Parts: sequence; C-alpha cells; structure tokens
Amino acid sequence: MTVPSLATRARDLLASEWTKFRSVRSTYWALLVAVVTPVAVSTVVAFAFATTPKSGPSPDPLLPGVISLEYAVIAVSTLGVLMFTGEYSTGLIRVTFTAAPRRRAVLAAKATVLAAVTLVAGEVVAFASFGLVQAILAGHHEGVSLSHPGVPGAVLCAGLLLCVCALLGLALGAVTRHTAGGIAATIAVIAVPAIAGLLPSPWSGRIGRFTLLEAAQQVSTLHPSASLFAPAWSLLVVLAWPAAALAAAAVLITRRDP
Amino acid sequence: MIEVEQLSKRYGPVTAVDDLSFTVRPGRVTGFLGPNGAGKSTTMRIILGLDTPTAGRALVGGRRYDGLVRPLREVGSLLDATALHAGRTARAHLLSIAQSNGIPRPRVTEVLRLTGLEGVAGRRAGGFSLGMKQRLGIAAAMLGDPPVLMFDEPVNGLDPEGIHWIRGFFRELAADGRTVLVSSHLMSEMAQTAEHLIIIGRGRLLADLPATELIESSARHDVLLRSPRAAELGRLIAARGGTANPQDDGALVVTGLDAAAVGELAASHGIALHALVPRQASLEDVYLDITGDSTDYRAGLS
Repeated sequence: MTVPSLATRARDLLASEWTKFRSVRSTYWALLVAVVTPVAVSTVVAFAFATTPKSGPSPDPLLPGVISLEYAVIAVSTLGVLMFTGEYSTGLIRVTFTAAPRRRAVLAAKATVLAAVTLVAGEVVAFASFGLVQAILAGHHEGVSLSHPGVPGAVLCAGLLLCVCALLGLALGAVTRHTAGGIAATIAVIAVPAIAGLLPSPWSGRIGRFTLLEAAQQVSTLHPSASLFAPAWSLLVVLAWPAAALAAAAVLITRRDP
Repeated sequence: MIEVEQLSKRYGPVTAVDDLSFTVRPGRVTGFLGPNGAGKSTTMRIILGLDTPTAGRALVGGRRYDGLVRPLREVGSLLDATALHAGRTARAHLLSIAQSNGIPRPRVTEVLRLTGLEGVAGRRAGGFSLGMKQRLGIAAAMLGDPPVLMFDEPVNGLDPEGIHWIRGFFRELAADGRTVLVSSHLMSEMAQTAEHLIIIGRGRLLADLPATELIESSARHDVLLRSPRAAELGRLIAARGGTANPQDDGALVVTGLDAAAVGELAASHGIALHALVPRQASLEDVYLDITGDSTDYRAGLS
C-alpha cells in the first residue's frame, strides 16, 4: 500500500472533524447564540449611546459593536471546550486517537475547523452589528461609514474575537479534559485579567495592555487608548493568548494517556 | 499478528501490567481472559498506542501502533461501546471515523449492513441499547477491513441472539485468516469461541495455551458414583488407596481410582452401581483454579 501524502492525510482529518462538528446539535445552538446575542445587544447599546445626553467628546461610534461581541464569548468558548471535553467525557477520544495516533494532527484539525467557522461567524456578527449600529447612530448624526479611514480594519479585527475565544476554549478543553473545568478555565483566563481595569491609573494600562479583552478593544476602536499598546502590538497580544494555550495543549496531549 | 514483549505499566504504586509477554497469531480466535482488574484493558490500550508502557513494547504486524499511517486499515478495535456522542447518528459516527483514515463512504453502509444496523443508521446513538452500541462499535472496527482485530468485553449487553451472532462472527473473521483477540472476564463466554487462550491475573501471564490443552492440564479428575451400599464401597475404595468423599445427596466422589477400577471393585464384591460417572474439570473450574490467587476482589468466605 502506498503511503498517502501529508496533504491527503490532513484533508482526511479535516473531513473527519468537520463531520463531527456538523453532526451534533450543540454546534448549532452555540453558533445561534453567538450570532444573535451580540447583534441584539449592539442595537440596544447603540440606542443607549444615541439617546444619552452629551457631555464632553462624543463616544467612539464603533464601541457598541465591540462591547456587544463580548456577549458571544461564552457561547463560542463553550463550543471550543466541548470539541475536546465532549470526547474525553464519553471516551470517544480513545476512538479518535486510535484512528489518528498523531494527536497533534487531531488538535490542528479541530482548531482549523473551529477557527474557520467562528471566524466567518465573528465577521458576520461584526459587520451586521456595524451596519445596525451606524444606521441607529446616523439618525442622531453620530454614525460613521465603512469607507471612513481605519473603520474596515477595526471592524475586521473586532470579528476576530469569536475565533480567538473559541480557540482558547478548544485548547483549555484539551488541557483540562473536563467540560466544567474547561469552561471555568476559559472564562477565568478571559475575564479575570479584566480586573486590571480597576487598578489605579498607570497600572490599569500597564497590566491591562496584556489582557485579551482590553487588547481586543484596542484593535477594534477608532480612537485607540494611549495607555495601552499600539493597535498592531495589541493584535499580537490578542493572537498570543490562544497561541499560548494551543501550545500548552500540544505539549500535554502527547504526554498524557487519554 | 500481535506481539507483546515484556510489557509493564505502573500507575504510581499500582502495577497494572507486569512483565507481560505473549503473541497472538492469525487464523484463530484468541481469548484474553482474566478477572476484573487483571490488566486486560490496559494491555489493549498499550497495543493501540493510547497508553505509554512503563517498560517493554507491543507490536502489531511487526510495527508499533503509533507508527501506522492509516491504522484502521491494519487494526480494528473496540474498547468501549459506550464511547459515543449521544447526539450523533450511527452513520455520522461511522463516517467521521472512516474519513479520518481515507476510507470511502460506501464502506460505512457496508459495515452498517454487516452488523445489522442499517435500519437505525439515521438514529442518534444515545438512544441505542448497550447491545446496539456493541454492534456499532464492531461496525467501526470493521471499517478498514483490517487483518488484526481486538475486542474488549464485546459480549457485555448483548441478548442471546446477539451473543450467538457475535460468536459466529468472530469465528468467521478467524477463518478468513485474521488475527482476532477477544477479552473477557468470563470463561463461559470464551469456551465456545476461542481456540487459544491467554490468561492473565494481576498483570502477569498465567497461561498461554490452546483451549483443549487447558482442560487436560487440570489435575481435577474424579469419579462420581451412586450405590445402595455406598458406605461399604467407600471402605473398599479406601483400602485400595483411593479416596471416597460422601456427598450430601448420598453420592460418592472418588479420586485416586479411575472409573474402570471402581467398577471392577464393585463387581468383584457384588455391589450394585446406580451411577458411575468419570468427571473432568470444566474450563470454568480450571480458569477459577488458575486465577483464584490473583483476584483482587473476591467474595468473603470467612
């Protein structure tokens, strides 16, 4: 028997993980919540923005969309966590690793499928929210158009958040091998560092610039905060979180008996 | 062929597998027997590259499992029939496994038919009975049409019809020239299926021999007799060097003399015999003798 090429084996694993992903209902529920919630929240926030009496400079017109995306974080991270822990809790992971003994290839295939779907979902949400928010703000002469410099990039970056959190969940699911533990760990990694925002002035920024949510806001607003990293560096911070978690998962997945 | 060479697996202070070596050959069903906790499942997980052994190695077809490029075409296995996503249909479950090894889609339909599951292919596996899950697990093992097959306690949960089917199925696989290793903690399940037996206890090899030799190797041969003058005959047997143990129901169980000698003895004294039965230990008895010292948890007798 001829040995199939690396590309063929990668395609086989992707097909397998795609079949698993699309053949359970939790996938559709999680994606539905991840798409509907932020779009709904963004319109509410936009109305609040538009109707609040103005004092000082007008707020960033992209902020409602950015804030609302954070409401999808739990849904997509749970989706990511379950991709591994759903297999660990039933023992299906042994079937998976028996069929594909190269465990890191399994991790890569799961990450690719999840990243592709959540990236599309995130961008759909980001642009849909943007459209709705600007339509509401435009009625109050505060909206901004997609052709405005810096806006397309900021909206694209906002859409990244779902993919980043989903991958973080996937990696921590592989690390914890336990659904409740995985979800708790993911929420903790995303939300607990946000406490840095409560620290006194210079420290809130010095620590806050490394947190996922602060960095994610920095790359998706029109007026970046001076106390955080520049948007390009903040984008690296955003990507570093799931990258680090995936690296930890890649190390542990081959060291432990499933 | 499966080769296990000086395999050991320790979990902290607990030794699950202890310097275990055996070879499973093609063309026959090999029973892998041992009490619960003997190390059967651990050994199978090591063979499949899931658990890392503390020492030794296991080879399938001369190669380590984790070196196989498309393992399901070389080894089919069923470790745990309940290892399913409850919300996924039988067909989607099998398709995802097939795709990972580049096995074409029509083969999924074939194994569903082979295991009698074609009628429930579109149903969610969470609603399956344990017997149906066992069939689904066997279907998954057959996807790659592999020359080597391993099943861990496959009979659990099957109804009598299913047990009959699975025994015939294993024998057919062996008759095809495949290597078939089937584990069980019950000898009665293996007695009618396995031609060769590997028996382990507390992670160690206790026996590795053809099923027929196992019975012959047993020292337990005796003669059961009934007679209206049992007590008198018992004294005569004792005088000839035999031992006669009276049973509660009046029968005698004789060791040290064979049935012919006992019959001759009774005839020469004019004692009528109502029954004279040479007895041999059953596979079950021999199995219990062999594994008796290695059971982790046994019913208290004292």
